[in-house]
Amino acid sequence: MPMSTPSNLCKPAYQQAEIIAHEQIAEATWRIRVDCPYLATTTRPGQFAMVRLTSRNDPLLARPLAIYDVFPQHQAPEHWQPTPLGSDTASGNPHFVDFVYAVAGKFTTTLTTLRPGDSVSLWGPLGNGFGTPPTNHLVLIAGGIGQTALLMLGREFLATVPSSQVTFCWGARHAGLFGHAEDFQSCGMNTHFATLDGSKGHHGTVIDLLNDMEKNHVFKRAAIACCGPEGMMAAVANWTAERSLNCQVSLETPMACGIGICFSCVAPVLDEKGDWDYRRTCVEGPIFDSRAIQWDAMT
Amino acid sequence: MTASASPVCPDLTVQLGRLSIPNPIMVASGTFGYANEMQEFVPLHRLGGIVPKTITVAPRVGNRPWRTIETAAGLLNSIGLDNDGIEQFVLDKLPFLRSCGAPVVVSIAGGTVAEFVLLAEQLDKESGIAALELNISCPNVSHGVDFATDPELCRQVVEGVRHATQLPVIAKLTPNVTDITSIAQAAADGGADAVTLINTCQGMAVDWRKQRTLLGNGIGGLSGPAIKPIALRCVHQVHVRVGIPIIGVGGIMTTDDCMEFFVAGASAVQIGTASFAEPIITTRILDELPAAVNSLGASELQQIVGTLVIGDSAKTSNK
Ligand SMILES: Cc1cc2nc3c(=O)[nH]c(=O)nc-3n(C[C@H](O)[C@H](O)[C@H](O)COP(=O)(O)O)c2cc1C
Ligand code: FES
Repeated sequence: MPMSTPSNLCKPAYQQAEIIAHEQIAEATWRIRVDCPYLATTTRPGQFAMVRLTSRNDPLLARPLAIYDVFPQHQAPEHWQPTPLGSDTASGNPHFVDFVYAVAGKFTTTLTTLRPGDSVSLWGPLGNGFGTPPTNHLVLIAGGIGQTALLMLGREFLATVPSSQVTFCWGARHAGLFGHAEDFQSCGMNTHFATLDGSKGHHGTVIDLLNDMEKNHVFKRAAIACCGPEGMMAAVANWTAERSLNCQVSLETPMACGIGICFSCVAPVLDEKGDWDYRRTCVEGPIFDSRAIQWDAMT
Repeated sequence: MTASASPVCPDLTVQLGRLSIPNPIMVASGTFGYANEMQEFVPLHRLGGIVPKTITVAPRVGNRPWRTIETAAGLLNSIGLDNDGIEQFVLDKLPFLRSCGAPVVVSIAGGTVAEFVLLAEQLDKESGIAALELNISCPNVSHGVDFATDPELCRQVVEGVRHATQLPVIAKLTPNVTDITSIAQAAADGGADAVTLINTCQGMAVDWRKQRTLLGNGIGGLSGPAIKPIALRCVHQVHVRVGIPIIGVGGIMTTDDCMEFFVAGASAVQIGTASFAEPIITTRILDELPAAVNSLGASELQQIVGTLVIGDSAKTSNK
């Protein structure tokens, strides 16, 4: 059964957004909450925003950040309510948007220095978002910081698909890298971990974990949504293809604009004839059917 | 009349040889897609000109990723002129561009003079095009023949295109030469209406741990604030020594940057990388520009073009 691609996407808009909260939640991992009613009310699961340090020339460009969660009615989760809700924010009517990001380079290192009350420039929602998985059992597979693209999808799936079930598999190098896993557990997802050093959950890669879980026939008629490092996504694409499972991946190619004007974010995408061409992941993705990607032609 | 006492909106129209544009704020090729991508961010009809991404005769896949890398206050790119070719451009992209309400300057690149001429002949048949910009500054496509580093080749390609079309012809030059004025003079001799200065500056980014270049293509072109001083120098030199109308481009992020280019000798400017960093930037500049021009006591933008004084010597020129 083909998956349906979302048709109800809202137009992107440019915004200045005030930071409401900003804290480290795991090793080299931060969570930031901004007041942005437009994004909070228009974002679909799997979409992203471009976030920029306002007026700075170095770092110059915005970075794509997956929209981790939105709170249109400001009902933020119990375990992360770092500031009084509904405080005197710029709009007076806060509608929160949360991003979770890994500190990796100049942009993210500088971003960590911003405090509540500061603001960032951002534009979104961007990208195609996930299609509706053709199943009632969705398996989310995250590697590293890839969980950020998956939370909204899993929660919406549980809330809208009758007698649905969501399994969440999260792999990382070690236990210290898992931040706010409660977000996935508290809405009813069945959560499993894998670490390369064995410090939490299954000792090994996510693929090892999947192989182990498969012994209990967990994946019959399941559909997969995956986000993580390229090598890990290629492995998952291969694993799901061998089992004829529907699999969507969220590609994290570097982006300069996020809106289709620079042609830098390309990935090799197959057409019906089996030829590939470079397509812009910011406008035609970032979500693709894993079988549509020519994995051996990726970077 | 002093600036603050002058509420009149200055005359912002620009004449670039045979090309007239309503205001000097254009957008640069390769940094604005084909304009349809930008309609949620910029009221396109307000732009002084739209230069869509360069097109070639045949479709090109472009270079392998990574195609861009941010460097200190700049961006390195090696997109490799990824485009669907002129036929698809005319079918898929030109209709929207025509409907924008802004002058459309189509950017073309060929590997030979004959390819440039072919592109010009085909576009000459299309309505709704204001001018052609010859991207003779992209070494990726020219099979080693670099039209913008050899004055004689530059003259030949401009002259060839001039004969092939009625449209105004703009030559876009590279800063990667020893003497940009000799190339600009050659473009003028070939009959160019204006020159666009500058395309990107060649550069490289290195990951020493992996002992690899970061760009898939190795070498790329640097743009953004890092190259503004180079662009200003090129504009100034060509303005003083050649006197052909100039469209300034390179590192413009603000209205102040635009004003710097005007006084250095540019009649118009193009906004490039800034649209990536701030998609609404052109609108902001268009809003701020009249007051900036007024602040110099000018009632017409053209009165301030090339009014630069070097150090404390006399004005260089004001033609
Ligand atoms: C990603 C990217 C793609 C570009 N593609 C083209 C192109 O196709 N044709 C062209 O003439 N110039 C191209 N340029 C050069 C720009 O038009 C401009 O000359 C240059 O970036 C300097 O201006 P800026 O610093 O404002 O970006 C490109 C620049 C960038 C950053
Ligand atoms: S990031 Fe610029 S086209 Fe996709």
